[in-house]
Amino acid sequence: MRRRVVITGMGVITPLGHTVGDLFTSQVEGRTAVGPITRFDAHTFPTTFASEVKGFELGKYIRDAAKYQRCGTNTQFALAAGKQALEDAGLLDPNQGDRSRMGVYLGSGEGGDDFKNLTRGIAEASPKGAPGPVNPALFTSRMMALLDGPWEGEQEMYTPAGYLAGAFALEGPNQACQTACAASSQAIGEALDIIRQGDADMMLAGGSHSMIHPLGISGFNRLTALSQRNDSPRTASRPFDLTRDGFVIGEGAGLVVLEELDHAKARKATIYAELTGYGSTADAFRMTDPHPEGRGAIRCMAEAIADAGLKPADIGYINAHGTSTQANDSTETGAIKAVFGEIAYKIPISSSKSMLGHLIAAAGVVELVISVMALRKGAVPPTINYRTPDPACDLDYVPNQARELRFRHVLSNSFGFGGQNISLVASRFVD
Amino acid sequence: MADNTTTSRRTVFTGLSVISAIGSGPAAFWEALVAGTPGVHRITRIDPSHLPSHMAGEVRDFSAKQLIEKSYRRTLNAMARTVEFGVIGCQLAMQDAGLAKGRVQPNRIGIEFASVMGATELDDLGPASVKALKPDGTGPDMGVWGADGLGEMPPLWMLKYLPNMPACHATIIYDVQGPSNTHIAGDIAGAVGLGEALRILRRGAADVMIVGGSEAKVNPLSLSRFNLFAQYSRRNDDPEGAIRPFDRTRDGTAPGEGTAVFTVEELAHARARGAKIYAEVVSVASGVDRGKTGPGLAKVIRNALKAAGIAPTEVDHVNAHGLGTTKGDAFEARGIGEVFGKNVPVFAPLSRFGNFGAASALVELACSVLALQNSLLPGTLNHWDPDPACPVAVHTGVPRPIAKPYAVKTSYTDLGQCSAIVVKKWSD
Repeated sequence: MRRRVVITGMGVITPLGHTVGDLFTSQVEGRTAVGPITRFDAHTFPTTFASEVKGFELGKYIRDAAKYQRCGTNTQFALAAGKQALEDAGLLDPNQGDRSRMGVYLGSGEGGDDFKNLTRGIAEASPKGAPGPVNPALFTSRMMALLDGPWEGEQEMYTPAGYLAGAFALEGPNQACQTACAASSQAIGEALDIIRQGDADMMLAGGSHSMIHPLGISGFNRLTALSQRNDSPRTASRPFDLTRDGFVIGEGAGLVVLEELDHAKARKATIYAELTGYGSTADAFRMTDPHPEGRGAIRCMAEAIADAGLKPADIGYINAHGTSTQANDSTETGAIKAVFGEIAYKIPISSSKSMLGHLIAAAGVVELVISVMALRKGAVPPTINYRTPDPACDLDYVPNQARELRFRHVLSNSFGFGGQNISLVASRFVD
Repeated sequence: MADNTTTSRRTVFTGLSVISAIGSGPAAFWEALVAGTPGVHRITRIDPSHLPSHMAGEVRDFSAKQLIEKSYRRTLNAMARTVEFGVIGCQLAMQDAGLAKGRVQPNRIGIEFASVMGATELDDLGPASVKALKPDGTGPDMGVWGADGLGEMPPLWMLKYLPNMPACHATIIYDVQGPSNTHIAGDIAGAVGLGEALRILRRGAADVMIVGGSEAKVNPLSLSRFNLFAQYSRRNDDPEGAIRPFDRTRDGTAPGEGTAVFTVEELAHARARGAKIYAEVVSVASGVDRGKTGPGLAKVIRNALKAAGIAPTEVDHVNAHGLGTTKGDAFEARGIGEVFGKNVPVFAPLSRFGNFGAASALVELACSVLALQNSLLPGTLNHWDPDPACPVAVHTGVPRPIAKPYAVKTSYTDLGQCSAIVVKKWSD
């Protein structure tokens, strides 16, 4: 029989709370954390607002925080969320259990870039007067003088997963992936499979990301992916609403402790839910646009439900990808209808991003945590900022008010730039 | 430790592409390996004289425009060099495997790619940086950047550099609709991607997986950054002899660039379509050696051997990362030495073409796959003076016949993330 995998610990650093409890309360109360960008002066950018993590101090979580002071926010958020999750699971003690059977799978993004000195160096190596190509040799000479070497060395893409392993003595399989907005859900799904296939007994899995930096916002603005509703940041993220105009960028981290069932039972761990289903597909369509009929999304939802041994009718709540972009929300709606048929209209669907914004590589894991809390608390968070129905989005999005609802299985979707589609199913644990 | 010995789903390499400083395509690459051709030279793409280290394994004859699928040529303007290498690598591997688009049912083929965020091309940010620079020259005026600078960036700027773009383009070109993942765990990324492909094949989610990696660090920004924090060799008067794996006089490594891509296939599927087989891929393990002292790496190697169901004595050679860095080589040698002693020769191919980073595990693995296929193990370049701190026996000099069926490929990062791959000479 296939090894069963349960969730025994959860930790988050998000714009709406630095604990799982605070995050879920905010979600149920329909609060938002979206506001003007404070990380840098963005007042002339096409988009001037974001959903930022405020008041974060790594020292609250990690005793030797100074060691990580040069790390990017992605690494710092990951360490704080990882600490919470392991403490919650009762697995923080590095001498506890066989640590070579405990690993890390992180969906994470870039570290920081030294925007100030990078653009200064490029400007100084550019021809004076008329525009023309940058002189690369001169640029390298300026970089050697301007950049902070030790700081640069902490910004590599393998840094967060490596430091998580180091800080918490997780010596088992170590992986990191970057599949844009699907990354942390994919990390969780593949970590599930690592445990199922016997390569580990516990995986600390999830994601961490911040793209609220000048090049991140510049890049997304050039792609016209972000909402530009600068006069009303708090209502800008409006998934499934007719007037939606792009996503609101967020940041943060989430980590869950995935554990093989017998391993969890043997140490009498608290079981929050069972992770029962995983589906992973590619759209093979375009760089940023989803396939118009949602063919990848349809198949990954169907695969995840089948992997859990369930039928669509068993799903009680769908935590949607729901980005608040025109393309995603209508395509996702169509895909849900294709998978669920008539019952699609009866299943409550909501988008955490209406309140949290889009945490990119960290989005999926935080939304899974919210899904698991909804399962446990019997409460479905709303989609806020929902005012104007879109004929292309005609399902039950739990508009603006949370709903009490007891259910047994939740489906969580994450679809990323590049065409990766991931669906996860979590179920109330029944022995 | 993903393995396939306990199930009927054996997995084999049926396609291979390599683009590197010493040659592109399996045949030319193998020829260069046997001939001992060095690929690390003084950098020509830019004038490197302002950098402490002047060397790299540059690919000098690469034209994505000539190689890309015609229908896809217009998308090249959305690809940085890293992405170009990756996309072309996937094309060449699929061609080598005889897998034209539609040959495999779209749902039954997936991709696991290893990459990193590309470094920005300077000219992409040139006009914006010039406009925004404050009058005192200390950095950008953010107000000016937002109002007048940002609009000068190419609209698709972000997509040129995202790590998952090689996989994205490959899925579009070949209608690959199975799982698609992009691995970013530094120098073990390609290995753990291969491990994941094995798990995906074993759980039955696909019949064919594209497994590859690409890197292009020979650019002004990456060279500057890495010279500041990585140990790059300063032996600028002897580029070809600069990277000295496990040698007492080693003083650092040098970047390489290019791609290596395999198609990995479930054996029955490969047989049914009469595919040629390069080698069997048996197991992959990963883990973390937190102190970078050796026992953690040794444990990962043992896990891979255990998953393969073999003893150290069945291994022909260990294919090491062999960066040529002072601490890195000593760490890796201690891990290998703890498992194999000096009984199994170590082969370190990186000194020929430089460090491929995320793609390093796979381009280095390609050397052993070709060695097993050709029954000949090339020697390690630039290892003359064994270092007592590196307790391994390095195979040098002329190629020697392959003596045993298995090879083990090790990789690691400077944070102690480790991987080991076991491959086997193909036989029924």
